[in-house]
Amino acid sequence: MLSVDMGVGIDVGSTTTKGVLLDSSGKIVAKSLMLTGASAIQAVEQIVQNISSSANINLNGVPVIGTGYGRARVELAAKSVTEITCHSVGVHHINPDIHLLIDVGGQDAKAIRIGSSGRPEDFELNDKCSAGTGRFLEVMARVLEVSLDELGPLALQSKKPSSISSTCTVFAESEVIGHIGAGESAADIAAGVHVSMVSKIAALSKRVGVKEPVCVTGGVALNPAFRHYLSSQLGVDLWVPDEPQLTGALGAAVLALEQKGVGM
Amino acid sequence: MTQERPSEEKPYRRLETQSVLQQIAFRHGLEAMEASENGNLAWVTSGFPVEIPIAMNLGVVYPEQAGAIIGAQKIGPEVSNIAEDLGYSQELCSYARVSIGSTEKPEEVPMGSLPTPQILLACNNICGTVLKWYDAISEMTGAPVFLLDTPPIEKQQLPHNQEYVRRGVERLIEFIGSNFNRKLEEDRIREVAELSSKATRLWIRALEACKTKPSPLNCADRFLTMAPVVSSRGTEHCVEFYESFVSEVEERVKNGIGAIRDEKIRLLWDNIPPWHTLRFFNILASRGVVFPADTYTHAWTGNMVGVDTSSILDQVVGTYSKVYLNMGLDAKVDKMCQLIKDYDLDGFVMFSVRSCKRYSLGQLVSKEIVTERTGVPGVIIEGDMVDSRVYNAAQIETRVDALLEMLM
Amino acid sequence: MNYEGVIEQSSVGLKELVESGEEIIGYIYPHIPLELFMAHGFTPSLIRALPGKASGFEESLQTFACSYIRNLYSQRANGQFLTLAGLLFPGNTCDALQNLGDVWKVRFPDDRVFRLTYPVTRYSQDDSTTKFLTEELRILSETISNTFNRPFLSESYDRAVELVQDFRNSAQFLYSARVVNPKIIPYTEVARFVRTFLTAPTISSVSAVKDAASTVRGTADELGLVDTIETVQQAIKSGNYSGVKLPDDLGTPRIAIAGGMVEPQAIATLVNDMPDISDSFIVLDLLSFGFKTVFTESPSKSENPFLAMAQSVLSAPGEPTHEGLSYRMNAMKELLSNLSIQGLIVCEQSFCDPDQFESPSIERAASKLGVKTVRMPLDPELSDRGRIETRIQTFVETLE
Repeated sequence: MLSVDMGVGIDVGSTTTKGVLLDSSGKIVAKSLMLTGASAIQAVEQIVQNISSSANINLNGVPVIGTGYGRARVELAAKSVTEITCHSVGVHHINPDIHLLIDVGGQDAKAIRIGSSGRPEDFELNDKCSAGTGRFLEVMARVLEVSLDELGPLALQSKKPSSISSTCTVFAESEVIGHIGAGESAADIAAGVHVSMVSKIAALSKRVGVKEPVCVTGGVALNPAFRHYLSSQLGVDLWVPDEPQLTGALGAAVLALEQKGVGM
Repeated sequence: MTQERPSEEKPYRRLETQSVLQQIAFRHGLEAMEASENGNLAWVTSGFPVEIPIAMNLGVVYPEQAGAIIGAQKIGPEVSNIAEDLGYSQELCSYARVSIGSTEKPEEVPMGSLPTPQILLACNNICGTVLKWYDAISEMTGAPVFLLDTPPIEKQQLPHNQEYVRRGVERLIEFIGSNFNRKLEEDRIREVAELSSKATRLWIRALEACKTKPSPLNCADRFLTMAPVVSSRGTEHCVEFYESFVSEVEERVKNGIGAIRDEKIRLLWDNIPPWHTLRFFNILASRGVVFPADTYTHAWTGNMVGVDTSSILDQVVGTYSKVYLNMGLDAKVDKMCQLIKDYDLDGFVMFSVRSCKRYSLGQLVSKEIVTERTGVPGVIIEGDMVDSRVYNAAQIETRVDALLEMLM
Repeated sequence: MNYEGVIEQSSVGLKELVESGEEIIGYIYPHIPLELFMAHGFTPSLIRALPGKASGFEESLQTFACSYIRNLYSQRANGQFLTLAGLLFPGNTCDALQNLGDVWKVRFPDDRVFRLTYPVTRYSQDDSTTKFLTEELRILSETISNTFNRPFLSESYDRAVELVQDFRNSAQFLYSARVVNPKIIPYTEVARFVRTFLTAPTISSVSAVKDAASTVRGTADELGLVDTIETVQQAIKSGNYSGVKLPDDLGTPRIAIAGGMVEPQAIATLVNDMPDISDSFIVLDLLSFGFKTVFTESPSKSENPFLAMAQSVLSAPGEPTHEGLSYRMNAMKELLSNLSIQGLIVCEQSFCDPDQFESPSIERAASKLGVKTVRMPLDPELSDRGRIETRIQTFVETLE
C-alpha cells in the first residue's frame, strides 16, 4: 500500500496519548489510544508502532503533526499545532455543522467557536484552577468513595442536587465532606458536584457564544450526568462524536494531509 | 423554619428605631427614581463629599450600599456572575462586581439595582478601585465620571496636596454646574454643611455611648443604622432619624440596658462586615460577645461648618482627604489601638475581606502591632463582604473559638 | 536563551555596576523621572518580579495581594535583593503598591524607602495636575539631598536628559520600524535593549540601542522605508495617523500586546521558547515597561527642571490607574486600526485590580474594530506556562 498522501496526527495528552492515520480521502485507516504514563516520548513511539502495525503500512515519509500538552515531544512531527486548532478541525471533519465545541479533559476545559473553514474563530480556556475539569470530578468521586465511572450514573439518580458554592476544588472538597456529615444522600451530593462543575463550563462557553449544534468532546464527555446538566444549563442539545477522545489526533491528521512532502 | 422566639428569649435586643430605617430607605429609593427620571441622579462613592451634589440639588445613591443590600439578600454570587460573564475577574472588588452585574441586568436584581445615573461621582480616598469601577459603569450607562483625586497622606496634609484637592473640589462644582446648568449657592451649601455636621455629631454621640458597659449597641446594629449617615447626610430627615436614634441609645445607657443580654466579652471589629451572614454577630451574642466598636462605622466622623463657601470648601478638603483609609497603615493601627483603649475592649477580630485590597492588605502586619501596643489578643478571619462563595464558616468558627477561649 | 537565563544576565550586569561603585536606587512603578535620580548621582534601576521566588510573603501579605507585590516581598524576605542605596515606592497608583510601601517600612525598617505620590487626574484642563507632581518631585529631590547629602547637580541633570532622550529616540525608531516591517529586527532584541536600559540607564546601554537603530535605519533605507517609519513614529507620538500609509505587502498575522506590569522581555522569551512560532507576528507591544516608557516625551529645556520632569512623566501614554478610560480606549482604537493590527493579546497580572478592570474594556473596544483578542492571565512566576504558550500559539493559528 502506498504511503504517500496519508497523514498522521498524534495527540499527547496529560493522561492519554492518541494517534490517527488518515488516507487522502480523509478516511481513518488506523487509530490507537493508550495511557501516556511517565514518558511522553515513549508513548509517542508506541503509538506510532501501534498504528503502523494496525494498518500494516510503513509510515516513512508520511507527514505527522503533533498536538496536545506534550506536542513538543513529538519529534517526528513536521510541526506542532495546538489542541484547540486540532480539536476544532477534527470535529469539523466529522460534523461540519458544529459551531461550538466544548472539550473537557482531565486538566483542561476549552470552549471553541469553529469557523466555516474548520479553524477556530474564538476560544476560551479555563483559568489555572481545576474546578471545571475532570480533575474536580475525580477528587469528588474519591471523597464519595465511588469510581469515576460510577459518579455520573449516581448523580442521575438525584432529584435535588446539593448546593456546592465554592469556586475552588479544595474548598469544594470540604463542602462535600460537610454535606456527607449532614446526612445528605450520595446521589444528591454527586449531582451537586456535577452542577457546580458544569456551571464553570457553561460560563466559559457563554464567553465564546453558544450556538447550536454544540459538540462535547474529551474524557468527561463520556459522563452522562455531565451531558445532562450541561445540556440543561446551556439550553441546547449536545452532540457527542462516537470517539470523543480521538478528535484532537484526527484534526492533527487532517492538518498533516495538508503538509505535502514533509515527513518522517 | 422554627417559630420566631419572643424577644425576651433572644440573646440580642432589637432597636425600635430600626423599623424607621425601612421607611427611610424606601423614601430614598423613590426620591432616587424621581431624580433619575428628571435627569439629575448621581451615583456616589461612600467617601465622596456628598454635601456638594446635594447642595446643588442632585439626587444621590450609593452603589456600595446597594452592594450591601445584594449581599444581605444572599444573591451576591449570582449577580457577580453577570459581571463575570462580561469578562470581569472574580478577584475584583465584590461591590464593583455586583454593581456592574446589576447595572447590566437590572431586571434580575429588583432589590439592589439602582436607577440610571446621569453622573458618576467618585473620590479615591477610600480606595483606587472606585475609579476603575465607575469608569466601567460610565462605559455601560454613558454617564460621565468625575474623579475627585485625594492623593494619600502620610501624617499630615502638605500644602500642595491641599491646593490640589481644593482645585479638584472647585472643578467638581464647575463640572456639576456645566452638566446640569446650575450654580452652587452659598446659603444652600451652608445649610447642607450644617445639616451634615449635625447628623455626624449625633452619629458620633451614638458611637461614643458604646463606651458604657453594657454597650447599648452591637456592631450589627451600627451597620444597619449607619445607612442614613452614609447616604442621606445633608438632609433634614437624616438629622431627624439620628435625633430619635440617639435618644433611644441614651435611654438604654441610662437604664443600663445592653444590646445583648449577657455581656461578657467586648471586642473590636475591623473591616466591612459579611453582609450575607450578619447572623454571625447574633451567634456570638448568644455567647456573651459584643462589639462596642468597629473601624467601619467609625469612618464617618467628619465635621464641616463654615461661615462661607470658601471656608466650607477648605473643611471639605481636610475632612475628605484625611479619611483614615487614606492615611496609611500607621493610621489604621492608631485608630484600632485608640478604639481598644477608649472602649475598654478585650480583643479584636479582623475580617480579611478577599476582594477589598485597600482595607485588608496589611492586616497581617497591623494585627501584630495592635497586640504589641495594646496587649490584647486578636484573630483574623477570612471571607468577603458580598461574595458568599469565599466564606468558610467552619474555619471562622474555629478561629473565633480559639480567641474566645483565650479570653474566657 | 530561556527567561531565567535572561534575568540572570541582567542581574550580573547590575552586580557589576554595584561592584564598580555605582549607587542604585530601585523603583517599581514604570513612570519615574529617571533624570532626577541621575542628577543626584544615582543609577535608577527597575526592581522586577522574578520567576521562582514564590514564597516568603505569607507573613505579611494575603494570597489575594497581587502576584507582583508578593513576588517582590518574597525576594526581599529571602535576602535576594542587591544592595541598594534606596527604594522608591509610588503613592496613589494602586492599592497593592500603596500597601506594599507601608508594610515594607514596618518589616524592613533599615531599608531607605522613598515615596513619590502621583496625581491620578489627566484631564483637569488646568495646571493643577502638573503643579502637584512638580512639587512632589521637588520634595523627593530635597529628601534625597538631605538623606545622602548629595545635591541635585544641573550638569548631571542636563546630561541625563540627553542620555534618556537618546534612548527614547532610538527605541521609538526601532518600535516604529517593526510596525512597518516586523522582520527588520527581532522583537526579542528590541525587548532586550529596553530591558537593559531599565536595569540601568548607562552610556553603554544607550549606545547599544543607538547602534541598533542606526543599523536598522540603514536597512530601512535600502528598502525605501525610512519615510514611512518616521511617519509612523510621529503618528504614534501625536495620536494623529492621517499621514500613515503602510506598505501593501505586510505579512500576517499582525498582533499587538496590551497589558500592565509585564515586561516585553517576558513575552519575547515565552514566544522564542515555542519552536513553531517566530516573534515576527508581534508588531508592537503597548506595555508599561516597553511602549509606554519608550513613547514618553523627554523633559524640555526649562528654568524649572522639576516642572519639566513632571510634564515628561505626565506625557506617558495612559495607564489603567489614571482617569480617562474613554480616552485610552479611543487612542488604542486609532492605533490598532491605523497600524493594521489584527489581533491583541491582553495580558492580566493575577489579582491586579487595574489590569483586571481594564481588560474587558480593551476587549470591547478591540471587538468594535473587528480585532480579535485573547486574554492572558499571567503571574511573575509564569506558573501556568504551558497554558499560556498554548493560548499564544492557538491565537496565532486562528489568525494565520
